[in-house]
Formats: sequence, C-alpha cells, structure tokens
Amino acid sequence: MSLVIMIAYHVICAFLAGLLFWNFVREKKSKDDLVLYLLVMIPLILRLLRIK
Amino acid sequence: MSDGIDMKQEKTFKTAAVILVVGLLAIGGAPLYKHRHFEIPVVQGPGVTRVVKLSERAPRLKGTMADTNVFYLEGKESGGKVILMADTHSNEPAGLLASLIVIENTVVEKGTVIVIPFFNNSASRNTRPGDGYPLYYDIPTAWGSKRFRMGNRDASPLDQWPDPDVYIHYPERQLLSFIDVRNTNRTWPGRPNGPRMEQVTFGAMEIMRKENVDIAIDLHGAETMFPVTNCIVAPERSSRIATLASLTVKAMEGFNSHVEPSPSGFRGLSHREIGDHSDTSPFLLEAPIPFLDQPTGPKTVKFLLDGKDDFLLSLAKKKRLFVPYDESGWPMEKRVGQHLSVTLEILRQFSKKYPDRGIVVRGVPRYAEVVKNGVGHYFHDPAKAETQKVILN
Repeated sequence: MSLVIMIAYHVICAFLAGLLFWNFVREKKSKDDLVLYLLVMIPLILRLLRIK
Repeated sequence: MSDGIDMKQEKTFKTAAVILVVGLLAIGGAPLYKHRHFEIPVVQGPGVTRVVKLSERAPRLKGTMADTNVFYLEGKESGGKVILMADTHSNEPAGLLASLIVIENTVVEKGTVIVIPFFNNSASRNTRPGDGYPLYYDIPTAWGSKRFRMGNRDASPLDQWPDPDVYIHYPERQLLSFIDVRNTNRTWPGRPNGPRMEQVTFGAMEIMRKENVDIAIDLHGAETMFPVTNCIVAPERSSRIATLASLTVKAMEGFNSHVEPSPSGFRGLSHREIGDHSDTSPFLLEAPIPFLDQPTGPKTVKFLLDGKDDFLLSLAKKKRLFVPYDESGWPMEKRVGQHLSVTLEILRQFSKKYPDRGIVVRGVPRYAEVVKNGVGHYFHDPAKAETQKVILN
C-alpha cells in the first residue's frame, strides 16, 4: 500500500510541477507570479529527483 | 519587485529566472544528493570471514537504501554468538566508530561476532538541516582523515513514506509518535511485510532466531540532559550480566556506565522486544553525546567530536546534567572507548557464566587505549588494502 501511495505522490508531484511550468510559460503580465511559480516548483522537483 | 512586464522583457526575464532557480536547485540539492550516495570504505580486518546483506533475512529490503551489510567474524573454535548493531540512530556516531574498530581489528578465537555497522542505512544517508547538522565529519588517522556521513535519527522519507498519523506498534498495538515508524529503535520486532524499518528489524530478529544468537548489543548515544545516558539498558534476563559489566568497568577502568532497567510498558525498543521475541539477551549501551542536547551553541563538527560547549558547562555547574561535565567536554574517544570496554566486559561476563557458549576475542582496544591513541589510530588505510577486502557502505 505504501508503494502505491509513494507512486501516486510522485505522479501528483509531476502533475503539479507540469501545471506550474505551463502557467510559467503562459504568464505574460506579472513578474511576481513568474518568480512564485518557479519557487513553488522547487520542493516538487527535489522530490521527483529523489534528492530531498 | 515591480509588477508588469512587456513583451520585449518577457523572454529575457523568464530565462534569467529559470537559470536562477536551476542554480538554486543545484547549489541546494547537489550536496544532499552527494551525501545520500557517499560511500564509506571499511577494511575487513583479520577476523572477518564473510559479509552478507541483511536482505538475505528480509528479502523485501533487496535493492533498497535500507538494505545493509552484515559482517561475520567467526572463530575456529565453536562457542556463543553476539550481534553488535550500530547506527540504529545515525546521529549518534560513537557506536558506528566502535563497530568499525571491531570489524577492522578483531580476531575471534571462540564463538562468532556478527556486526551490522549501518543498521539504519537509510537514516545514515539522511540529514537534519533544520538543526544545522553537518553532512560529514572527519576522523584524523595516521594516513590522513577518514570521512563519515553524519546521519539522522530516522530513515529518509525517500525510502519509507508516507508516515501515518500515529504509529501503531506491531504486535503490541501501542500508539507511538508518527515519526517513530522510521525509527529503528521503535520498530522491533518488525514484520517481513511491514513498513520498511520494520523489515530492517525483522531481518535482524531473523538472524538472532535462526542462528541462535546469545547476545545482542545495540550501540547508542544520549543527551547529557537525558536521564537514560551513560548506561547499559537491560531487561530482566540481561540485568545480572549488565550489573557485573557495569561494576567491573567502574572498578577496573574508572568510568561509569550504570544499569537502567528496560521498561516493560514501552514497546518497540531493542532492549525490550529482542528479549521478548527471541532467546537472545539484549543490551543497549548509551554513551553521552553533548551534540544532541538542545541548549547548546552551533552544531559544528568540532562540537560533535570534542563535546565541548559553554552552555552545557554552565548547566553542569547548576547540576542540571546527568553526567559529570567540565571544560574537557565529552570527546569522541571517551564515548567510543566506553562502548568498546562495556562490550568486551559483557562478552567476558557472559563467557564466565556460560563457558560452553563462550565468546573470546582479541585485538579490540579498551577505553584507556582509545582515549590515549585516538579513534583514528584503529582504522586502516583503504588505499593500501587489497581491493576485495574493502567494503563500501
């Protein structure tokens, strides 16, 4: 069961990271939002890379 | 930062932001990745007869970061068996250093010594950045310094996740803190299909049960402000030998290591569950480690190794500590030496009581020798050892 949850968690991380990156690409107006999208992605990427 | 962006700036700004964040990721993540994959070479000493993986007894560990090396030191004469476990808590390094000294130097004349130096291998590849833990520490030797990973108390969430809201201990169903599901001194006796840290303790239990191990010694460190420190924790069946060992090291070697009874109502600990679920007699050794105390200065490598801290010195003067403490601190040599001498004394007392199951070893330094020569004196240069004698951990 833990393995299934772990896999689901990584899938969710990848989905959210993808969503944030897509928003980052599409954002045209706000510098603040651009920076925030990238910052929020950091823990998701660290987890996907199995670093922390 | 001002809001608003024009089309000309957009591409430049986005590129710069991505480069900045990738840089932050690399600077922050690379040291953690390197630490998790850093290997410590251990030179097999003259007594090592074979090295196996814990997954031989707990197959689901195979291929995971929780699997770990088990060193066998078998004597020519048959006798009793002892299992020595260190790094159960990987932020208590004196036990690890003591166990590596045993692996690299011991000759077993009678019986068998089994050593698991990185018991919670996953925790030894974890860290605690919130407490400012160093990632490594170096022990000086005659041939240079030997580098070790500084680990954490609990296994990495990368290897066992998610944590439950409450950890329900198996089989007693006592409710423990959620974090203890990754603490290999709360997951005894374990299950073959339980959470991964239960698989680790199950593997060790299987060694004890299937190989008729007589004694289990679990090496730890504890805060100077914690009452269960500088002691041998023993359940009823081990208390006689623990008491004799405690009295002997006090009389013959001049240091204290008192006996604490293992509480029967607190589940999951090695000194309780090993005795309740096998015929093995468990002992848990605690050496003081000022680094783990909370009211201290910065958690530096120097502090980890010499145990000197002005805040603790002030508390000692107010009699708030459970161990004697002065300007000399509580250096690593003393802690490692205590672990080795108490271990040797437990083996000696056991061998006196059960001569047919005796365990006789030589080559292991005692307290005074380690304090005099330093810990690094007993480590061998992996660069000069035969390649097949060097095991990476």
